[in-house]
Amino acid sequence: MFEIVLILIAPLVGGLMHGSQRVIRARMQNRQGPPLLQPFYDMYKLMDKRAFIVHPYHTILGILHFLTLWLVVALIILGTNLLYVIFLHLLATVFIVLAGFSVKSVFSHLGANRELLSLLAYEPIFIFLATGFYLFFGTYDISVIRENSTAIMTLPLLFIAFLLTIPLKLKLSPFDACEAHQEIVGGVEVEYSGVYFEFLYMAKWLEYIFVFSLLTLFAGDSILFAIALVAVVFLVANIVDNSTARVNIQETVKFLLIWGFGLSILNIIGLSFV
Amino acid sequence: MFDLKKYRKKSPWILHYNAGSCNGCDIEILASLAPKYDLERFGVLNTGNPKQSDVFLVTGPVTFRSRERLVELYTQMPSPKVVIAVGSCTCSGGVFRDMYNVEDGIDNYIPVDVYVPGCASSPELIIDGVVKALEILEQKSKEIELPKKLFGTIKEEEGVLNLREMALSVAQKSEQINAQKSEQNEN
Repeated sequence: MFEIVLILIAPLVGGLMHGSQRVIRARMQNRQGPPLLQPFYDMYKLMDKRAFIVHPYHTILGILHFLTLWLVVALIILGTNLLYVIFLHLLATVFIVLAGFSVKSVFSHLGANRELLSLLAYEPIFIFLATGFYLFFGTYDISVIRENSTAIMTLPLLFIAFLLTIPLKLKLSPFDACEAHQEIVGGVEVEYSGVYFEFLYMAKWLEYIFVFSLLTLFAGDSILFAIALVAVVFLVANIVDNSTARVNIQETVKFLLIWGFGLSILNIIGLSFV
Repeated sequence: MFDLKKYRKKSPWILHYNAGSCNGCDIEILASLAPKYDLERFGVLNTGNPKQSDVFLVTGPVTFRSRERLVELYTQMPSPKVVIAVGSCTCSGGVFRDMYNVEDGIDNYIPVDVYVPGCASSPELIIDGVVKALEILEQKSKEIELPKKLFGTIKEEEGVLNLREMALSVAQKSEQINAQKSEQNEN
């Protein structure tokens, strides 16, 4: 019962995180910033707008992206297999890439291309993450990982590699080249409008929940440690977002494939000696 | 059910277009969005995407080349929407009024809701204009508003805008204008 409530309110919690992120970013720049509930005001406004549809398939793919992400979050909360979660998340990204390529807009194609390249950068790290948990706990089950004590002392390099993917997943600087609002006008979301853009906007909130719930797996059974981990990483991600400029997509992929991939492989090899 | 209309005021997303301005007003617009004047505290975002924006901030006296893009961007914005003319040039043509390459203000082409004076307008004036425009946005209905020139009529089939036919009529019209100009030159 408790889990079902958590699944239902997951997008709302994500919205609150997005709102607080905008407030924190504003306070870091010494300005007032929007109210905490700003993402919800945006949501109501988008529901009230007229919507342009390029073609129905494009719109349906956007909605499917949101629904699949919600399913991913639900599976994490229910504590199922970690590999299922990661590959379903891949499916959600594939939906949005297909949507990007299904319209004629150049910016949409560019955004979808960059989305694919960033997939190339972060997906190996996610799979190594699952492998690392499997080697340590002997199972892919998230519920088992949650019941045991923390694995962060055994998987420190994998933890760092996972931290490197967070700006890429949350579309924060320096790795926000696949969205790049003023450069390619939001990438894949360029042709969405009105209530259909709302689904992509809420998918962004669910992305927050997905990333931070994967992060809490490192905390194991300690809830206090999990909260502290999420708070610290959230703050650090915002500081990095505020203090760095955007790097281009080639640099992003190169950096993640060298450092993220390298660190996770080192950790996996190291585990076999333990 | 609660009223969705009041949330329009709380999250206006801005589209900024430079219709041949000298960049003076554009710098002031960027200044009002930047940390010092902080338009984001009203929920304003600078989207750069006409399909997701509510407020159309235009600068510049509308040069001959930019008018088609101006109307194109205006029709790509879903209703309800408001238009703010920022700067003297945009309101009336300003110092460029009656020049051969200038169309004397955007209200010849699209309906304007708020005029912000000044050369260049100060960030305080722009913020004042945006806040005024939000009051107008709250009153507006979801009816499609017609641009005044170029497209003639909006072509809508089953609730979907037919942009292609509208753009074709623009091309025909600009061909006519070019033909007239070349005739005048020959005479």
